[in-house]
Amino acid sequence: MKFIKPKDIENLYDTLDTTEQQYLLAGGTDINVQINNGIIRDPNIIYISHLKELSGIEETNNEILIGSTTSFKDVIESRIIKKYFLLMYNSLQNFASPLIQTSATIGGNIANGSPTADVIPILLALNAKLLICSKSNKREVPLKDFFTGYKKNVMKNNELITKIIINKNAEQKYQTYYQKVGSRNSLAIAKVAVAGIKKVVKEKIIDIKLAVGSLNEYPRRLFKVEEYVTGKRLTEIDFEKVEELLNSEITPISDFRSDKEYRYHVCVNLIRTFLNE
Amino acid sequence: MKISFTLNKQAVTIDVEPMKRLLDVLREDFNLLGAKEACGEGECGACTVLLNGEPVTSCILNAAHADGSEIETVEGISQTELGKLIIDCFDETNAVQCGFCFPGFFISSYHYIKTDGEKDLNKIKTALSGNICRCTGYEKIFESVMLACERAN
Ligand SMILES: Cc1cc2nc3c(=O)[nH]c(=O)nc-3n(C[C@H](O)[C@H](O)[C@H](O)COP(=O)(O)OP(=O)(O)OC[C@H]3O[C@@H](n4cnc5c(N)ncnc54)[C@H](O)[C@@H]3O)c2cc1C
Ligand code: FES
Ligand code: FES
Repeated sequence: MKFIKPKDIENLYDTLDTTEQQYLLAGGTDINVQINNGIIRDPNIIYISHLKELSGIEETNNEILIGSTTSFKDVIESRIIKKYFLLMYNSLQNFASPLIQTSATIGGNIANGSPTADVIPILLALNAKLLICSKSNKREVPLKDFFTGYKKNVMKNNELITKIIINKNAEQKYQTYYQKVGSRNSLAIAKVAVAGIKKVVKEKIIDIKLAVGSLNEYPRRLFKVEEYVTGKRLTEIDFEKVEELLNSEITPISDFRSDKEYRYHVCVNLIRTFLNE
Repeated sequence: MKISFTLNKQAVTIDVEPMKRLLDVLREDFNLLGAKEACGEGECGACTVLLNGEPVTSCILNAAHADGSEIETVEGISQTELGKLIIDCFDETNAVQCGFCFPGFFISSYHYIKTDGEKDLNKIKTALSGNICRCTGYEKIFESVMLACERAN
């Protein structure tokens, strides 16, 4: 087991190029639990919490860039986030507990890639992109294309997430929705979470983005449901059809938290609530 | 790895395994036994300390996170004016039974009163939502913090 604290961002990229089977250490709220429980053994650790370039929230002409090691506390307290993304601001208020919000980072939540990760459905509804960098390459990956399986993603061993990018207008003139059904208020690990934005003109849904968490190997957009409801009046939507599409689009995971039928029903009900709102 | 930080307002340096849990650094290397371990997973808040003025769970932080930072524990905070006031309030309302959770509640309360301090039950509940008590029950704890808010103003 090695522990490396890169002296600056260039040194981080060099280290990523030359280290194998490494884990990045940001807030540590996921990885330390995994190490303490023996899920990860003898990891090579690259510490990134001290690198200023990776944290903070910036505004450009068209976009908001959130550094990957920005804590949830800083996200919630950011004027920029409150101004542009009320969906995110409101939905993250109950994230874990104040104690965890201070340490937990947005990049760690995404990279850890738990099906229950709270910020992912929200960012999917906002059509966010990730800036993924290595020493020799920089690429933007839409979040919807980032995950490839349970806790699997498109990042190579020498890459990291440096920024989360969201278009400033992502939720302007849209109605937003977020609902998480969990077992208790604080520290709730979601059983089902639905995040969405929709634009309705003369009772017709003209644009919608819908994402779910906790139902699948990773949080995802519901493209088939989106396509079906787009262009329809609320009265024209057949919810049995929505259920059918949902069924073909997601395979609920069943674990100790609750059985899949329950999750599935809750999810359909949440979507119905959002569409009817 | 050598790490340097401020611990209860004093500059300290130690040579420590950087992945060692911050909680163990405080308890073993500095003999500060106020922060407790219960769940060891960030869920209960028994191990709460202030890191750069913010309450955090030290059982899932590492020595590395302390480097260059400012850490305050119950031992330091209990010596402050506000710390003493809060202890008196917990005492008067009988909000401490076994006391295992107390250092955590104490630090979250201290932080709340210092940064906001409004005598508002909902806000207090939110501020203390990362701390769990298995014996006293929360009503008395909330009552103490309400009283402390009143007196601190
Ligand atoms: C008590 C408790 C309650 C919690 N409650 C919630 C909750 O309500 N909702 C929720 O969603 N989560 C919750 N979590 C999980 C956790 O806090 C979050 O997932 C958090 O955002 C992880 O961020 P971190 O910085 O702590 O990650 P770390 O533990 O530092 O890292 C997590 C993983 O991501 C990788 N990584 C970190 N940063 C990057 C990067 N920039 N690029 C690439 N890879 C990276 C690491 O290598 C590691 O594999 C909870 C955890 C605890 C302990
Ligand atoms: S012991 Fe750290 S939160 Fe429970
Ligand atoms: S007084 Fe015993 S756990 Fe709170």
